Amino acid sequence: MGDIAVEMRSITKTFGPVTALADADLVVEKGSIHGLIGQNGAGKSTIIKVLAGIYGMDSGTVSVEGERLTDITPASIERRGVHFIHQDRLLVPTATLAEAIFLRSEPRFGPFLNRRRMNRRASELLKAYFGLDLAPTALIQTLSTAQQKIVQITRALAQDAKVLVLDEPTAALVSKEVESLFAVLRRLREQGIAIIFISHYMQEIRDICDRVTVLRNGRTVGVLDPKEASLAEIVALMIDRDTGEMYPRREGRVGEPVLTVEGLSLSGHFQDVTFDVRAGEIVGLTGLLGSGDKQVLECLFGLKRPNGGGFSVDGVPMRFGAPVDAVKNKIAMIPEDRRAHGVAIGLSVAENISLASLPQVSDYGFVRRGAEARAVDRVIEALKILTPGRRTLVRNLSGGNQQKVAVAKWLSCRSRVYLLDEPTVAVDVGAKVEIYTLMNRLAGEGAAILFLSSDLEEIAEICDRALVIYRGRITREFRRAELDSDRLLAAASGARVDGATTVA
Amino acid sequence: MSDGAPRAKSKISLEAVANYAVIAAFALLTLFFAVVAEGFLTADNLFNLVVNKVVLLAIVSLGMTIVIAAGGIDLSVGVSVDLSSMVFVMLIAAGYAGIVGVIGGLAAAVVVGLLNAFLINGLKINAFLATLGVLFIGKSAQQLATQGGVPIYLTREEYAAPFDAIARSEVLGLPTPVVVLILCSLAVYLALHRSVFGRYVAALGEQPGVARYSGVRVPLQLSFVFVGCAFLCGITGILLSATVKSYVPLSGDAFLLDAIGATFIGTAISAERRPSVLGALLGVLMLAVMRNGLLLIGWNFFWQQVGIGVLIFLVLALSFGLAKRKE
Amino acid sequence: MTLESASAGKRPNAAAMTSVLVRLGAFGAFGVVMIYFALTARGFTSPYNLLNVVEQSAILGILAFAMTIVFIGTGTDVQKGGVDLSVAANAGLSAAVFAVLAEAGHSDAEAAFAAIATGMLVGLVNGLAVVVFKILPLLATLAVMNVAAGLELTLTENTVVGASTDLVEALAFGRFLEVSSLAWCLILVTLVLAVAVHHSRLGLRLYAVGGHREAARAAGINTGAYIIASYVFSGFCAGIASILIVSRLSASTPGTGLLLLPVLAAALLGMVFSRRFVPTIGGTLLAVLFIGFLVNGFQLLGISSYWVSGVQGALILLVVAATSLAKPSDGG
Repeated sequence: MGDIAVEMRSITKTFGPVTALADADLVVEKGSIHGLIGQNGAGKSTIIKVLAGIYGMDSGTVSVEGERLTDITPASIERRGVHFIHQDRLLVPTATLAEAIFLRSEPRFGPFLNRRRMNRRASELLKAYFGLDLAPTALIQTLSTAQQKIVQITRALAQDAKVLVLDEPTAALVSKEVESLFAVLRRLREQGIAIIFISHYMQEIRDICDRVTVLRNGRTVGVLDPKEASLAEIVALMIDRDTGEMYPRREGRVGEPVLTVEGLSLSGHFQDVTFDVRAGEIVGLTGLLGSGDKQVLECLFGLKRPNGGGFSVDGVPMRFGAPVDAVKNKIAMIPEDRRAHGVAIGLSVAENISLASLPQVSDYGFVRRGAEARAVDRVIEALKILTPGRRTLVRNLSGGNQQKVAVAKWLSCRSRVYLLDEPTVAVDVGAKVEIYTLMNRLAGEGAAILFLSSDLEEIAEICDRALVIYRGRITREFRRAELDSDRLLAAASGARVDGATTVA
Repeated sequence: MSDGAPRAKSKISLEAVANYAVIAAFALLTLFFAVVAEGFLTADNLFNLVVNKVVLLAIVSLGMTIVIAAGGIDLSVGVSVDLSSMVFVMLIAAGYAGIVGVIGGLAAAVVVGLLNAFLINGLKINAFLATLGVLFIGKSAQQLATQGGVPIYLTREEYAAPFDAIARSEVLGLPTPVVVLILCSLAVYLALHRSVFGRYVAALGEQPGVARYSGVRVPLQLSFVFVGCAFLCGITGILLSATVKSYVPLSGDAFLLDAIGATFIGTAISAERRPSVLGALLGVLMLAVMRNGLLLIGWNFFWQQVGIGVLIFLVLALSFGLAKRKE
Repeated sequence: MTLESASAGKRPNAAAMTSVLVRLGAFGAFGVVMIYFALTARGFTSPYNLLNVVEQSAILGILAFAMTIVFIGTGTDVQKGGVDLSVAANAGLSAAVFAVLAEAGHSDAEAAFAAIATGMLVGLVNGLAVVVFKILPLLATLAVMNVAAGLELTLTENTVVGASTDLVEALAFGRFLEVSSLAWCLILVTLVLAVAVHHSRLGLRLYAVGGHREAARAAGINTGAYIIASYVFSGFCAGIASILIVSRLSASTPGTGLLLLPVLAAALLGMVFSRRFVPTIGGTLLAVLFIGFLVNGFQLLGISSYWVSGVQGALILLVVAATSLAKPSDGG
């Protein structure tokens, strides 16, 4: 190693009265993978946007390969070989693989597109870098999430990338795909490419990064070797808080079964799924992408109709045609896609919170506004939702508080069963802790909680029990004492594990 | 997110500017015509303006307001108006009592609404294309029923009774159509701004997925929305026929743009930037004042159309351009 | 390796099956209708009649191409994406400009230039309204449609304005290789657009802008410019079509705006003929001819023309319902 690929020094950026970056540094060597971590609002995305030329900086210097750059624009930085792989899979769903890879660097034949060469080059690149045999004419929309990530990286490589910036590249991937991606990144590192890797997942940072820059409140508070520093040290740098508090503990009493699932099947997704969740219990559910875990939740919430078996709540058999039936039977869902299904950001906090329980605060179909306001204020208070008032639009709240609103709407329904689908994806550490605390509280009040997550660490730390679903069947059940993320990982990827309870 | 606070602040002030700009434009427009157009401020003209120009469009706009609030659009309002008008007039011509005609007309409109609801809920077609398809089909239906579009005139004295009972009667000293408008406005106001249904509509308009995941029966609510809109259009069709004592095929199409325009003017001036009853009524009034004023200062019908189009365009530009610069 | 297993789940395969079925269904329906007319409608298969249909489809075709380009550049979610509702009214206005200028004694070149410039100007207004003022395209173009229709009426006073110039005569009665000028116009425009849209960088990038605007922007494409350009091009097509409109009747007549519905129907219908269910030049051409043959067959069979609009409406609904079935449900 040795040569510097990207050097950002003393970067300051303010938005009006708010200082987003104050004297922040980021120095990345060639042929290295450099982690960039910090809580939301620490300045990670601002410093990346400065590098990308999306924001101008107030002061500071940016050099790429030793050459100082002035007036960075998105186009000029790309010409320097710095490429950004955005968190969202920014690909045209109806384009072919080759078209997506060569968008804006299309091979030509005179004035015309040279499709044959484009397709051949795409195949070659995918083969050379990733050992993949994908048809260059396959449509993007038929690819898996991981494959789409690969296409985005290939696009950068096709344009001779020297620096790759990956923003939360693993957020939508399952563990096996993450491993494949990491193998690719390591290979690129060997070819001398510098990689800036932004992630909320501490374990990943430690697995793959050579160095890591920690940002807090717009400042660089540390540059360290993640393999030497302990997790506790890193997290402490980020939030000034002990990791012991990361996963709040709870001593609760577990009661009678509330949700009982027996032999539930959905053809093509899962078969013969049997388990129960008791009052006051948090049960984890995890599996690889496509293992059928999501569909189990969807069936329990009436989004999909199972074609075998059944389930009951408090001993009463359920049959749902639509989510409305689930809601009536006191089943709550915190969906993964918060913006599409969890909260309507254009509605006020009050309108969101009371949406699922309007009949309780209305007479003859008309809303009793006083009763509604009281009920909403109670919940805002109880969950400590940070909002200027109940009439504020949810759009203006932070991500963590939006997620709380998504939970809050079920409190006034007095829901018995909570189905949580990846509630902590892409929220910062502080908000995660609050969500765990909230889950503990709900359990403490006697609710039954089914918690789906692909973050095995949180499953291991938070749950009373965990179920692993593999190829549509529940293959393992771990009790509290047996829970750890390595065993979960092994089970989720189909390996045999000793010492765990094997289910049928 | 560190740049959220200052931006939010400037957005609010821009929204306020947009609100006041539209209202100020309306006030200026009225003032302008009051000064320039002779006869604009006379009691006769204003009365005529409200009764003949505002009522019909206002009721259609109320329907459109419900649909747009729910995130949809209804291009088939003209079909609902026309079919209601057609069935009403045909029943009267066949010698049925007025009440039978009214019920028949409203039923015809409701059928259009149900068809829209079926296409949207059952076949999962988006509202624009579903109602566009119904617009085509409605045109054919009318042409087939009237040998290509021959109007039905019932101006003879023997038919006058039911028409006059609707269009030329008074309730509490007000013309019946005005009373009907007041009742419709009140009903839609309660439904949209005070009821549980209205909350569901707002959620559908903002993010249908959230509504579904919150236990809202989306198909049922959407059916209410489209049938409600069609029903209001049906009322309009009957008032229209009763006023002109005839049925002219395809005459309902004229309401479409004005109703959409009025609804969006209303959205632009509402504090929450959502379609609202009061806003839509103001929008209708604005269009009527514009048309009437232009007529009085000597613009012919064609130039009025240009003028109204430009006005709607400007309001849209103001409303979207100033307020929706979030991204 | 997990990355290898393309579309591992069963859903994409099922979706792929459905999409193949829908496409087969579309081609099949076209085939069955043609065979039915060939067997029942006397004279349907005569070369004269077939060419006649092509000739009569020229105006609809060019306007449908305009709509297709707008769909490609702005996506096919008409409600939130983009659409140019003003295209037919724009053609009417441009036709009025052409006819009025020609009647006033201006040369063909001047009149044609003015007509095309008018069309492009209207397109530019649409583009600016959508991109700069961020008005919902549906609403912006609806308002512009009304303004254009109003201006057409003020120009022509709602009457027929005759125009018989050399250009008009040549287009109306000229023939080359037994094929009329109007038919040639459609063929040429189709060829040029097919190359420009499907075999140029510009076309590929336009698809990217319409397919996923954020992705296109992230790739460094100036999306606003592409969208404005697609509306201006739509106006350009309206200008070209306006000259053909005047040629066909040797006059500008009111009512061109009524073409909007068939234009929309053709552009939407065309999507079912493409593998990706996106608007394509070839697909739109097939759809235009399908509609043309349908109307022609109705005429030959003596079915009332009042059915035409209803059948077009039903076709749109059928097509959209079928494509929404065939598309993989989003979120996957």
